[in-house]
Amino acid sequence: MASSRRAEGRGRWDWGCPETRSRLEEVFFGNQDIIRRGSEDCRRFWAFFERLQTFQKPKPGPAAKQLAEGPRCPALAGLPATYDPRYRINLALLSGEGEPGLGARGQLPRDQLAEFRRAVLHYLDFGQKQSFGKLAKLQRERAALPVARYRGHLLQALREHQVVVVAGDTGCGKSTQVPQYLLAAGFSHVACTQPRRIACISLAKRVGFESLNQYGSQVGYQIRFESTRSPATGIVFLTEGLLLRQIQREPGLPQYQVLIVDEVHERHLHSDFLLGVLRRLLPARPDLKLVLMSATINISLFSSYFSCAPVVQVPGRLFPISVIYQPIAKEEVPTSRAERLDPRPFLRVLQAIDHKYPPEERGDLLVFLSGMAEIGAVLEAFQPYAAHTKRWVVLPLHSALSIADQDKVFDMPPPGVRKCILSTNIAETSVTIDGVRFVLDSGKVKEMSFDPKAKLQRLQEFWISRASAEQRKGRAGRTGPGVCYRLYAESDYDAFAPYPVPEIQRVALDALVLQMKSMGLGDPRGFPFIEPPPAASLETAIVYLRDQGALDASEHLTPIGTLLSQLPVDVVIGKILILGCMFDLVEPVLTMAAALSVQSPFVRSAQSNLECGTARKPLESDHGDPFTLLNAFNAWVQVKSDRSANSRKWCRRRGLEEHRMYEIANLRQQFKGLLQDHGLLAEARAVPGDSYSRQQRHRQRRELYQLKRQHEEGEGRKRKVLRLEALDGGSSSGEDAEASGSQAGGGAHRMDIQDVKFKLRHDVDQLQAAASSAQDLSRDQLALLKLVLGRGLYPQLAAPDQFNSCRKDSDQFFHTQSKQGAVLHPTCVFANNPDLLQGGQAEAQEKSLDRRDGPSGQHQLLAFVSLLETNKPYLVNCVRLPALQALLLFSRSLDTNGDCSCLVADGWLQLQLEGSEGATQLLSAALRLRARWEEALDHQLARQAQPRGEDGAAAAPKTERKAAAALGRDLLDFMRSKVSYSIHRLTALEAQNLYVGPQTITAAPQLPGLFGEAALTPNETKGGYTVTSFLTYNCLMSDADLYSDCLRTFWSCPHCGLYMPFTPLERMSHESSCPAAPDKDAHGEQEGGGPARGGGCLGLPGQPIRPSCGATSAQLSAHLLSLARGQRGGGGGRQPPGVHSAAGLPL
Amino acid sequence: MASSSEQEPRGMFECQLCGLTVPYSYVGQKPPNTRTVVLLEECYVLKDPFSSDKDKFLILGSQCSLCSKLVCVGPECSLFYSKRFCLPCVRENLSAFPQEIRQDVEKRHALSKTGSRKLASRT
Repeated sequence: MASSRRAEGRGRWDWGCPETRSRLEEVFFGNQDIIRRGSEDCRRFWAFFERLQTFQKPKPGPAAKQLAEGPRCPALAGLPATYDPRYRINLALLSGEGEPGLGARGQLPRDQLAEFRRAVLHYLDFGQKQSFGKLAKLQRERAALPVARYRGHLLQALREHQVVVVAGDTGCGKSTQVPQYLLAAGFSHVACTQPRRIACISLAKRVGFESLNQYGSQVGYQIRFESTRSPATGIVFLTEGLLLRQIQREPGLPQYQVLIVDEVHERHLHSDFLLGVLRRLLPARPDLKLVLMSATINISLFSSYFSCAPVVQVPGRLFPISVIYQPIAKEEVPTSRAERLDPRPFLRVLQAIDHKYPPEERGDLLVFLSGMAEIGAVLEAFQPYAAHTKRWVVLPLHSALSIADQDKVFDMPPPGVRKCILSTNIAETSVTIDGVRFVLDSGKVKEMSFDPKAKLQRLQEFWISRASAEQRKGRAGRTGPGVCYRLYAESDYDAFAPYPVPEIQRVALDALVLQMKSMGLGDPRGFPFIEPPPAASLETAIVYLRDQGALDASEHLTPIGTLLSQLPVDVVIGKILILGCMFDLVEPVLTMAAALSVQSPFVRSAQSNLECGTARKPLESDHGDPFTLLNAFNAWVQVKSDRSANSRKWCRRRGLEEHRMYEIANLRQQFKGLLQDHGLLAEARAVPGDSYSRQQRHRQRRELYQLKRQHEEGEGRKRKVLRLEALDGGSSSGEDAEASGSQAGGGAHRMDIQDVKFKLRHDVDQLQAAASSAQDLSRDQLALLKLVLGRGLYPQLAAPDQFNSCRKDSDQFFHTQSKQGAVLHPTCVFANNPDLLQGGQAEAQEKSLDRRDGPSGQHQLLAFVSLLETNKPYLVNCVRLPALQALLLFSRSLDTNGDCSCLVADGWLQLQLEGSEGATQLLSAALRLRARWEEALDHQLARQAQPRGEDGAAAAPKTERKAAAALGRDLLDFMRSKVSYSIHRLTALEAQNLYVGPQTITAAPQLPGLFGEAALTPNETKGGYTVTSFLTYNCLMSDADLYSDCLRTFWSCPHCGLYMPFTPLERMSHESSCPAAPDKDAHGEQEGGGPARGGGCLGLPGQPIRPSCGATSAQLSAHLLSLARGQRGGGGGRQPPGVHSAAGLPL
Repeated sequence: MASSSEQEPRGMFECQLCGLTVPYSYVGQKPPNTRTVVLLEECYVLKDPFSSDKDKFLILGSQCSLCSKLVCVGPECSLFYSKRFCLPCVRENLSAFPQEIRQDVEKRHALSKTGSRKLASRT
């Protein structure tokens, strides 16, 4: 106040005085006013005000000029005679006028108030002009899009036909305009699918903006974890996968009137499938309209698939592009796959550009390479050149880069410098970079192909198609005329395939077949795909699903299959989730399943970074990669829950991509919801906290929402200027400031929007509790978790090569049943610590130097999530499992010899157990456990299938939970069992001569009846006897003792103390039924209720078979038969003792 | 919630000179949600689509006070000088306007030549 008086006292008005400003703001910028104090608008006003002041200074006095002529018409009579700019403003301000009681007002002189008021009006008028200019420009641009001329044509076609194809190239505006035309023409409930999530978000924003928000919340998007959809949504952008899920739930899609399927030419698995589903749906929904949008590629295919749908063809908007063919000289073509790419031809193009075009002419270069290794090779060669000439900034672009690094390609190079982006085919369609004038096309692409025979994914390099080549070329002509250099000959181009191979023809189809089954689409072999996948791929998928228990023998969905089809994950991951629910391992299993379903959070480039390696060390688990991922996520959640910690920094230090952590958090939440929905998991009751903490939480959420809104308002990452001197792939100025800011400790308060979204979406405390509970997993829980993973991943097993212990760490080989010589992924924990897998081998080595696969109790197998072949076949995401136990519990086929000391699992791994006594014990224990596990799983699934009652029919009954816990304990005991054995991969020859073959002496009644009711049939191919669906007894050719299975030796039962001569089988049978056996009780408890489950049980529960001498073998087997058949229900009378020598051989 | 319904589009505003077509949400002199600003003419108004502020509005156009044509506020179509005049009317009555306006109109004429070329390209 004093200062302003001073200002007045001196007779000079100071607009810059803070107090004066503050008082003016008080009067004019109140809460009711159009400009509010402290807002961004207020700041802008003052900037405007200052400019206005300087502009208005030399103001000549209003010279009253008489108008040349008197007004001719009365409407003009009222025009002010003297000109004043304020007459040109059609606004008036009420603020600060006639409002009494404004204490400060008295101190503001009238003239200054009036001047200020005028300034505010000018500011508002200026704002109006600016916004209107933007609006007019927007409308002009929309009207100028090539597609605009076809609007009427399109709408007409859609009124007359059910399906219309819109074909137009990049830049014609179809994706943004067609939805708007439809809305404006009165269509509503429009769904527009996109192949990529990111496109859903950006299109929804763009369309909302272009339509001037006139539809308000009517334009929305829906992707996996986010939805802006509301009941008012008139048009929703969503992914193809999501629309398919919606059809799965409601096959008629009653919620939509119009479907737009965009980018159909990209031929993604989902979009091809979606087209098939829609073609079937259309006749049932004659009111439903379908618009297919495609580039001008293979249009007739789509049109004819929908009975010659009309095509609206829109020309693209491309500037002319000149093509220069520069085939690579023979000596520069790498001769073998292993050889690195020669960067010289690429470098020559760089030089040519520098030579031909002056640096003032802007325009960047986009280089298409086949993969990361090729990008690395070219980057290495370009960087010294760029550093030398100072005319280039070189940036890599591929999907394995961190998000921040990917974003750099959108930054601007400094003047006189060009940006050179080395990209995979990601820049062909997914990422559009403006300002590209030059394209350098290697003509190569690496694509995933699927080998149905080995069930192996292969990343191979191919020539691109002509369509891709044109697409790549087109990237040079988006903003002006461009140049496309092709590193192949025109004749090569002519020889290219016309179109890329559709995804459906080169990927595994398990998930697709499962989804088709659950949608009731019948036999996938007969489905009218737009272009059918290879028959072998479909067969492989069906067999795989049958093996995984998702389909039954007649290819119908099993309960577990139904459930798996609801889970948007790989079949194996889905199985792990379901299995995990049973043993109270939900939290860690949710995290693992989520972590295995996203891209690895471990940044590849950090692999070689020593510091990262050290910082990562504590996260590594020697059980395997899924456990390392679990540790990493849990540790990250701990960091998150600590308010003062900076999780972004934490991740960077460990070479972790934080974005993936957010994805894992989202995914695990989605899984949890799904498991709850399906009654596999009891819903957590909301803990009614005290009102104080509730309020606190409420307030926190409000603050977070506010932060989120702020972020959305200040939307859009501002383009940064790239720095030339940055050698490590170019860094942007802003980023370093951020890094240094957080180092200094201050300035680190830049809002992390991901963090805000994360905290809004998740209850961090709850996550943290789950994480810390997972951190103190007991040894037992860990072992059980491994078992769950193993069972889920089976049959994806690999055995270490027998000579691994004599190899270098990096040369460890592994073999799966169908693929020899796979190696570990370099990120795998076992790649650096191979000794973890060699427990068995090392031990064996000590015993006998010449047999490395010799007897030991420690042999390990690897269960892996995927097998990926690039230059070598890699096992990705491995867990180690004790070999014998895993095989006994999981194998789909177990074959034994007579005394069960030799086992062959799935026809490829042979186990030689030491001592037949332990062997039979272990086998019978495994059989019992498998049966119980199946039974428990069936119970769980049956519960899921039931309609859910009032309060949580979901919660497992107590008895069931108890049984599951007991099963868990027994499984652990089993895992701990110590048997010394050797493991051996069968050679092809061995595998051929494995079985004794069908027996000619069919009458020979051995003792198969012991194994259970279904067990009495001789196996017609392998020989021996089929005991359960997976166990075939005594079918192995044995070079040892032909009679071993018939010989009796004295044995005393460890449980009941019985001491008698037994054949191995008799012994097993006794053991399984011995009333004194320890796990009898747990088992028997369940037996009481329902009928005994067939298949798995060894022996008939509750009916001990005691061997005694006297009865003949014929009597015996007849007896057993009747017993097995007649008393399937269990609980029958006691069995008189009687087991006798089967073959009748004298002892 | 009354305020949100006021934001709903009420119809399409179409400039009778340039053909600009935009949905409007209010016609009058007191745009919704604003208390301290009044308009000096009956305007077609839209909630400012470029601002997330609910009370920011955008004036699209109004009627020419001479010929009653509906015109947008774009500089090629109309001007405001205590009333709305479409440019054809201004040109017809150029002498009735002060020197500043006359100069301005000439300037706009020169500009609109380049502008009209743009307009032609869109049809």
